[in-house]
Amino acid sequence: MNIHRARRRPTGSLTGAIALLAVLALVLAACGGDGTADTTAAASPGTTTDGGTETTAGGTETSTGGEEAAGDPIVIGSTLALSGPLAPTAAIHKVAGDLFVEQLNANGGLLGRPVEWVVLDDESVADQAASLYERLITEDQVDLIMGPYGTGAITAAMQVAERYGYLMAQHTGSLTYAFNYGCQFPAWPTGRYPNVTNPELVFDALEATGNPPETMAFVINQFPGTMFVAYGYPDSGDAQDAQGAVSIAQERGYDVVLDVQFPLTIDDWGPIAAQVRDADPDFVYLGGLGVDAPNLIAAMDALDYQPAGMFVQWPAPGPVLGAGESAEGVLSVTAFEAHPPFTDDPENAQIAATFEEAATEAGITYAEMETQASASWAAWQTLVAAVEGAGTLDNEAACDYLVNNTIETIFGETSYGTEENNYYGDLSYVKQVQDGDWWVVYPEEFAAPDHAIEYSPEG
Amino acid sequence: MSLLSQAVVSGVLAGGLYAMMSLGMSLSWGVLKVINLAQFSFILLSAYFTYQLTVSLGIDPFLSILVCVPLFGLAGMALQWVFNRIRISEFESLLFTFGLFIILESLAATVWTADFRRLSTEQNPYVSESIWIGSIALPVPQLAAFVAAILVAFGVRHLLRNTHFGRAVRALAQDRDVAVAFGVDNGKVSMQLAGLAAGFSALAGVFIAMSRAIFPGLAVEWFGIVFSVVILGGLGSTLGTLIAAVIIGVVGAVATVWGGPPMAPLAVFLVLIATLLFRPEGILGAARRDT
Amino acid sequence: MRLRPAAAATVVLAVALWFVPEFADGFPIFYLLFAYNVFFWIAQASSWNLFTGSSGYFSFGQGAYYGVGVYTVGVLVAKRGWPLLPTFVVAGILGALLGLFIGLIVFRLRKLRGEIFALMTLAVAFVMGAVARVSSTIDGGQGIPLSGVELPQALGDFPAMIFRLGLIVATLAVLAAQVLHHSRLGWGLFAIRDDEAVAENLGVPTFRFKMMALGISAFLASLSGAVHSLQISYVTIEDVFNIRVPLLVILMSILGGTRHWMGPVVGALVVYTLNDRLNAAGLQDVSDLIVGGLLIFMIVAVKEGLYLRARQRPLRAAIGFAVGIGPPIVLGLTDSAITVMAYGLLGAVLLLMLPVTAPVEEAVPVHG
Repeated sequence: MNIHRARRRPTGSLTGAIALLAVLALVLAACGGDGTADTTAAASPGTTTDGGTETTAGGTETSTGGEEAAGDPIVIGSTLALSGPLAPTAAIHKVAGDLFVEQLNANGGLLGRPVEWVVLDDESVADQAASLYERLITEDQVDLIMGPYGTGAITAAMQVAERYGYLMAQHTGSLTYAFNYGCQFPAWPTGRYPNVTNPELVFDALEATGNPPETMAFVINQFPGTMFVAYGYPDSGDAQDAQGAVSIAQERGYDVVLDVQFPLTIDDWGPIAAQVRDADPDFVYLGGLGVDAPNLIAAMDALDYQPAGMFVQWPAPGPVLGAGESAEGVLSVTAFEAHPPFTDDPENAQIAATFEEAATEAGITYAEMETQASASWAAWQTLVAAVEGAGTLDNEAACDYLVNNTIETIFGETSYGTEENNYYGDLSYVKQVQDGDWWVVYPEEFAAPDHAIEYSPEG
Repeated sequence: MSLLSQAVVSGVLAGGLYAMMSLGMSLSWGVLKVINLAQFSFILLSAYFTYQLTVSLGIDPFLSILVCVPLFGLAGMALQWVFNRIRISEFESLLFTFGLFIILESLAATVWTADFRRLSTEQNPYVSESIWIGSIALPVPQLAAFVAAILVAFGVRHLLRNTHFGRAVRALAQDRDVAVAFGVDNGKVSMQLAGLAAGFSALAGVFIAMSRAIFPGLAVEWFGIVFSVVILGGLGSTLGTLIAAVIIGVVGAVATVWGGPPMAPLAVFLVLIATLLFRPEGILGAARRDT
Repeated sequence: MRLRPAAAATVVLAVALWFVPEFADGFPIFYLLFAYNVFFWIAQASSWNLFTGSSGYFSFGQGAYYGVGVYTVGVLVAKRGWPLLPTFVVAGILGALLGLFIGLIVFRLRKLRGEIFALMTLAVAFVMGAVARVSSTIDGGQGIPLSGVELPQALGDFPAMIFRLGLIVATLAVLAAQVLHHSRLGWGLFAIRDDEAVAENLGVPTFRFKMMALGISAFLASLSGAVHSLQISYVTIEDVFNIRVPLLVILMSILGGTRHWMGPVVGALVVYTLNDRLNAAGLQDVSDLIVGGLLIFMIVAVKEGLYLRARQRPLRAAIGFAVGIGPPIVLGLTDSAITVMAYGLLGAVLLLMLPVTAPVEEAVPVHG
């Protein structure tokens, strides 16, 4: 290191002042420039924003009939990953929630009163979510809460909800074995044992083609949810938790030729792609999220290799389609898609249409309503049904109501509690990329008209 | 065996990109005595600019080089001017650029949101194309980065050895005060070098936008790799950086194939630790000559 | 401040604060949780500065000790059913062992330069994360929910309990920093910071002192992490072994000032409060900009940090605080004491940042 010379810089100097001005300028610029980022700036307490329009009590959208909600607003608090790695998908939940609240208010509100949704940014960090829920409950003293996005945040927030006795409807938690709080309600119909029901569904679908694969490769993201589906969670003490996609595949007679895991922050897909190509499986089971699928597809393309078939666990739907030709035939699971028979119910069709409009306006690249948005919608429907059913804002009473009654959601009749941890069965369907879009293809009763699963080991 | 050779090749090419990302930091630290964390911001912002230019103007992503490199080169020069002006020390520069890094990441999130930004295969056909040598595939973006890294590394080496500017730079690196006493214009030379360093980072950013999805939090994930490369290669040594980057790329790729992907970061950081312990001056021993 | 009055004041304050939860009906419960988080950051920043601020050896490895603390509780308590309080102590000890291990390699095996030490600590932190990911005994990627953990009932309900646990750890950290500041160990470390070769020639047992400070620092950081696991309640590698904790403690200590044990305390309070309030208002981006800008400004113009600057110009700090809280109170703009305090702190900070006319010594540790 250099020898330090004694510094006799005049500290009351030009540079200090310039630096200060620079900081102030930056702050002012940031405050002024808030208007564009409507998917990242959280609503300040007191207002909800929906793609730029402010919604106050009374609603700005006209709807068919319905009285105006009046009185003191009911405040519902939650966090979402408005920034950070989970933000792209959380944005969908922001749009869904805003839309739901807007429509709710235009149709008489909750218990006759307007609803205000306060959303804070948990930055995709689980303990941040926990602190923020504590703030919402103990400082802002919100009347009700809605679950956050992402298994980590949901698990962390659930502890807080339990601590203060708040009902928590949540839309995307996958750690089913850990959700043992009696007043949490998992709106997403994965069922209590997605580690069993999900792979079974996929393998059933493959076998329904009459030409199933013989060899399989498993490439699994080290994200808790995808790990659970692939390998189970033996430590939970429940025997059924110990199974996973890999063990079930083996049980059903598939030859597992590759089994690799990769970290969330993977940089170079080349080696994995090479391993897959080397193993030459008839089918690839990618326990992936977000953009794992298009990344792997591109890496395999670079090796001039594409497997005969591929399944992705919970991808961001848009980017998969953006992977071009090679994405054709890729399978995934969903609880809802914006086409018949799901849209046969006119109410659901209406919801899907208005959602697509709102999502497009909010700048979401894949704007169609699918699993994420529908799970969000169902969670809100659950919360509203609980409060309306109990006739009170008392969380305990609302919770009791849900446990003892059947309600209607976008997924149909829902009876929380038919399975452990308030689950109510696995209502997932297999979807596939065909002609550049996603279509449900299995089971047959739920398949889009003129669409059926396409797979053969020859590719 | 072909799996291993493909992995090794993949690692070598990845090393090219790592080298590109690390050259700026290595030169900055080794010669200018500035630990410039803003280099990561330059890489990230250059990637974003590449994304935006390709999406908005529909141009070939490679063309972004013409915009990003000069632009960030100027930014690098401006930053160095500030450093010279306030006579910043090495550690202070680390903290200063850390503050800058936080600000720039926040700005990126404000402008482009935290959404993953990825050029589609249509906008960026290179992402799934490869050049083939026998049965070994060389993906185009990584290959381009590798070739660029070699050109840059040898170019800078030539510059340092055979030009007036290069001699001035080496003199400054050896002993700033003496060099200045002998007439080297510290201000001008340091700014030009800083501009080059930032330009290299910007170049890396273009290749990054062409090979993966980007998001604001991505920059922080590069710290580990870049510091590993910079230390292993020896501060200020361009050839060392290149070799070190390739070694790290290969170590990561081979670890992936042998132990699974989670092993790759572990292997790389163990290499870093070993280097710090047993060869802190870098593989070519081309460290700074003071203390 | 001399040691005995300072330490005594700290203990008295701690005891007084202990009883605050008894009056929890008089104010929002949230204040207890806010205070807990401030305690957490005070403990983290103080433990970091205890080693780095004194010795001048810049450590990027805070995340490693924090991670060890969190995961010790996760693995031993949640997975193996160990009792909670003893596990806290075990966590602290494991952290200390890690620190000592690093110190042994770095200080004994090779006499490494300052920045190499810094990078080594960063590398170790990354390695810990990678190891946790690879080993399914520890995590293996699944994460560890802490839902079934039995909490000690004696300390009150959850907010009271975590407030008190955080208070204990923060008090320990601050006391340790104070004792160090005034002890032979502390003077020895300052000597090392100024010039290690000279210190050694003067008879300072540099290796022993560095090891002691490192061990204490790591113990406290790990202990604080162990308690914090209860707040997180769901432990994952991404959330624990990332760069947030190490960067924030550096930020807080630099802002508050590394030369004095009060520096990290002030830094933690200011940074956490501002960030919390801005985040609550949906202005996280602005918070990042301010924090980044403050850091740059401090490096350039207020090298000694906020605390020593406030000591130099106490009137300014007081006026700034008063000016900050004045308008919000008068205009009735807010009903949260925390927000009012945030305004006050901001006012004080802004006024303190204005130029002074005394020459400034270098406050940033420059070792190597």
